[in-house]
Amino acid sequence: MAMAALPISEAASVALSPALERAASRLASIVGPRAILSRPSELVTYSADGLPFYRKRPALAVFPETREQLIAVVRALAEERVPFVPRGAGTGLSGGALAENDAVVIGLNRLRRIISIDPENRRAVVEPGAVNAGLTRAASEYGLHYAPDPSSQTACTIGGNVAENAGGPHCLKYGVTLNHVIALTVILPDGELVSLGSTEGERDGYDLLGAFVGSEGCFGVAVDVTVRLVKNPESVRTLLADYTAIVDAARAVSAIIASGVVPAAMEMMDGPTIRAVEASIYAAGYPVDADAVLLVELDGLAAGLEEDVALVERLCREAGARSVRVARDEAERARLWQGRKKAFGAMGRISPDLVVQDAVVPRTRLPDVLAEIHRIAQETGVLVCNVFHAGDGNLHPNIAYDARNPEATARVHHAMRAIMNACIAAGGTITGEHGVGLDKLDYMPLVFTDDTLDAMCRLRDVFDPERRANPGKVVPVRSCREWRMAPNTRRGELPA
Amino acid sequence: MTSSDVRDAVRDATAARAPLRIAGRGTWLHAGRPVNATRTLSLSDLGGVVHYEPGDFTLTARAGTTLGELTSATLPHRQFLALDPFGDPSGTLGATVATAASGPLAYAFGGPRDNVIGLEVVTGDGAIVRCGGRVVKNVAGFDLTRLFTGAWGTLGVITEVSVRLRALPAVDETYAMAVDDRPDQLSALIAALRVASIAPLAMDLASPLLASRVGAGSTTTLLVRLAGNAASVRAQRRVLDTFGDVHDMPVDVWNIVRTAEPASAIVARLSARPSRMASVWTDAREAMAGVPGAMMIASVGRGIARCVLPETTPDAARRLARCDATVIFEQLPAALWKEIAPSPVSDRLSRDIRERFDPAHVLNPGVLGEAVAP
Ligand SMILES: Cc1cc2nc3c(=O)[nH]c(=O)nc-3n(C[C@H](O)[C@H](O)[C@H](O)COP(=O)(O)OP(=O)(O)OC[C@H]3O[C@@H](n4cnc5c(N)ncnc54)[C@H](O)[C@@H]3O)c2cc1C
Repeated sequence: MAMAALPISEAASVALSPALERAASRLASIVGPRAILSRPSELVTYSADGLPFYRKRPALAVFPETREQLIAVVRALAEERVPFVPRGAGTGLSGGALAENDAVVIGLNRLRRIISIDPENRRAVVEPGAVNAGLTRAASEYGLHYAPDPSSQTACTIGGNVAENAGGPHCLKYGVTLNHVIALTVILPDGELVSLGSTEGERDGYDLLGAFVGSEGCFGVAVDVTVRLVKNPESVRTLLADYTAIVDAARAVSAIIASGVVPAAMEMMDGPTIRAVEASIYAAGYPVDADAVLLVELDGLAAGLEEDVALVERLCREAGARSVRVARDEAERARLWQGRKKAFGAMGRISPDLVVQDAVVPRTRLPDVLAEIHRIAQETGVLVCNVFHAGDGNLHPNIAYDARNPEATARVHHAMRAIMNACIAAGGTITGEHGVGLDKLDYMPLVFTDDTLDAMCRLRDVFDPERRANPGKVVPVRSCREWRMAPNTRRGELPA
Repeated sequence: MTSSDVRDAVRDATAARAPLRIAGRGTWLHAGRPVNATRTLSLSDLGGVVHYEPGDFTLTARAGTTLGELTSATLPHRQFLALDPFGDPSGTLGATVATAASGPLAYAFGGPRDNVIGLEVVTGDGAIVRCGGRVVKNVAGFDLTRLFTGAWGTLGVITEVSVRLRALPAVDETYAMAVDDRPDQLSALIAALRVASIAPLAMDLASPLLASRVGAGSTTTLLVRLAGNAASVRAQRRVLDTFGDVHDMPVDVWNIVRTAEPASAIVARLSARPSRMASVWTDAREAMAGVPGAMMIASVGRGIARCVLPETTPDAARRLARCDATVIFEQLPAALWKEIAPSPVSDRLSRDIRERFDPAHVLNPGVLGEAVAP
């Protein structure tokens, strides 16, 4: 959930603790003085991520350029026992890359090389700061691509994707980041370098790779990532179905899923989103009077694809589509997608601030939950724009508002909480791809029992017993057992 | 039987210092290293589907439910769980997840880690942990689901499993083709298949003995399972025809493959980068040469060869262990484990996980070769 933006003191410099002072000079000698930032004015960029609610200024930000520098940085911080937060592109939507003023941000955006592409085995090894779309571009000469495609793919990093277990429209058919990571080299918070997964076949024993993916920077820093690449489909067909009632669109989603055809992607946009997109430079030709549009993409072998297209078209119509349009060429297809991919940007133009939300519901519950979200929006008087991965039941109910207006902000918070509760009540969960970070800490006890949260704390403590890596994120510290059992500790304080 | 019964059993075992051998239906207890247990905790009474909403393509069942029972539950809705581990359908869902066992379909659908969406687990300290959920996409919290999957029960007793299901394809056909498995020829074939216009659900190379068991002749044979709509399967079949002499097989051939190995056997999986498949196949074949009853099946797209030997041929097992591949034994005579199968729980992280989730070492102690106090 959201909090009002915290003002940050504008003092020119801030006194550092002795440990931080020592760390700062060691880091400067590792990366060179120009690759470390400490002035408040320089740190502004590193005081927020893609979520507008939180601002926190780290003590320092350091930018290693080589693997050796990264390892040396983490080891120096371990020796000085200074907390740190890894940061990719900062596009995260849960406040995950923010650091308190006693912590160091390790910026990974200079470690952005694609180390190797192995077309025969369809895999690539990349540095953590390699940009998602850049990998697909590099793989394209081999007829391959990297399948997980978050809408932020032109900016976000593979390291950030691994940390968040990022998804994207095409994850419906191809799977999320977890399904595409083969191996990782990780530097643990204590400075030990470990390899998780395996590039040479199966890996016996505990699935440490699976545990690391989605650990939101709390288990260490990914130093390099080996990912699977996917063969480009022989053929791609994209359909746009438009509806005068969003529940009909939701029924079409259910019917398509039930038919057994697995679309590459199945995305929905509601009326407010359509109108925001159409009023922007990203206008995609969506019908502005529609209550919802459904964008369905089918891909794969050319043979048999037209049969699937015909089936999906029929199911869309049977659910009440006013029209179904099949993109005739690549240009039309690109335009239909541009509206979807730039929808957040388009919404951002309606009002100064935008909360991008993320929740998941069982797919059969989409019609009721969408109706409930509509009701909540009316009741609280906020503008909700839904644009989401309908095929997975992964909702993004976004609220456009003006954060300078405290009364409006309060209503936004109220609506967000009500929407989250509705998703949980429908059997869903609080995040499908954006992570918990700071933003959803308070929701964790709504979906997990104390014993489950405690088990998560135990897992974190294996990777980071000192809790120095991205402290205070993902699991509320008060859920950890030793915390629950220590009656005198104060809320929000780390037990020693 | 309920999850609280399991929790009580774990707590009792801890209090009595009586380690548990966790069992499903007991169809595969000969797998893994010998366990130093004094009691058996059987989950065979903890069965039944808890929740199944066909429209969501998800299902939740108690751990003792057999894979066969799941098939009966989902088939009427033309859905299936895409896990086909070796063994017969009386194996349980819990054991499949605990051992991360997969079969030929893993080529298209992945293994348990890719199909399980949530778990209920009783950890060694007697806590009931519910991780993941019933939705197909979920990043709430650290991924305990992946941690417990494949942990062989050493971190917790799995009591309930939620999985994603798939729709039965309109057409599902399997074809067989005799293959020249000399290294260069095999390597060229695999490379050509990789770029061919086919999208198989499974593509496995069967050794001559296994091929004859499924009635596909007595030479090394490629089994290819193609699915989709009729037009797609027809076109893919035509592509296969360009590779050799293709025969139709009954789709039941996969059940025969899965149950072909004798219960008491040596079983090893050899894996490598997929591009090394032909060389792994050749090495394994040589390691098993002359051993009567030896069989092999390899998932060519995944680069994994599964080798089955009679229990009485430890030297062949030793030779497999020395092959230039990642070698993971599933079944071995008790005395051989220490000699040729190093424990995967030897690094700091794995050992620490073991300690934190089962501090009293009551859950399947020793099954992963991990150091546990007696
Ligand atoms: C317009 C927009 C659209 C988006 N669309 C999607 C979408 O479709 N699907 C989706 O899943 N997400 C989406 N996101 C969210 C975000 O882009 C993803 O979470 C992305 O994976 C974050 O990558 P990043 O490099 O920006 O990470 P950051 O924001 O820099 O960091 C995110 C987390 O990862 C950790 N981290 C970063 N690098 C490493 C590393 N090397 N090792 C360990 N931890 C690390 C950080 O500590 C932090 O906790 C969107 C965001 C925006 C702004």
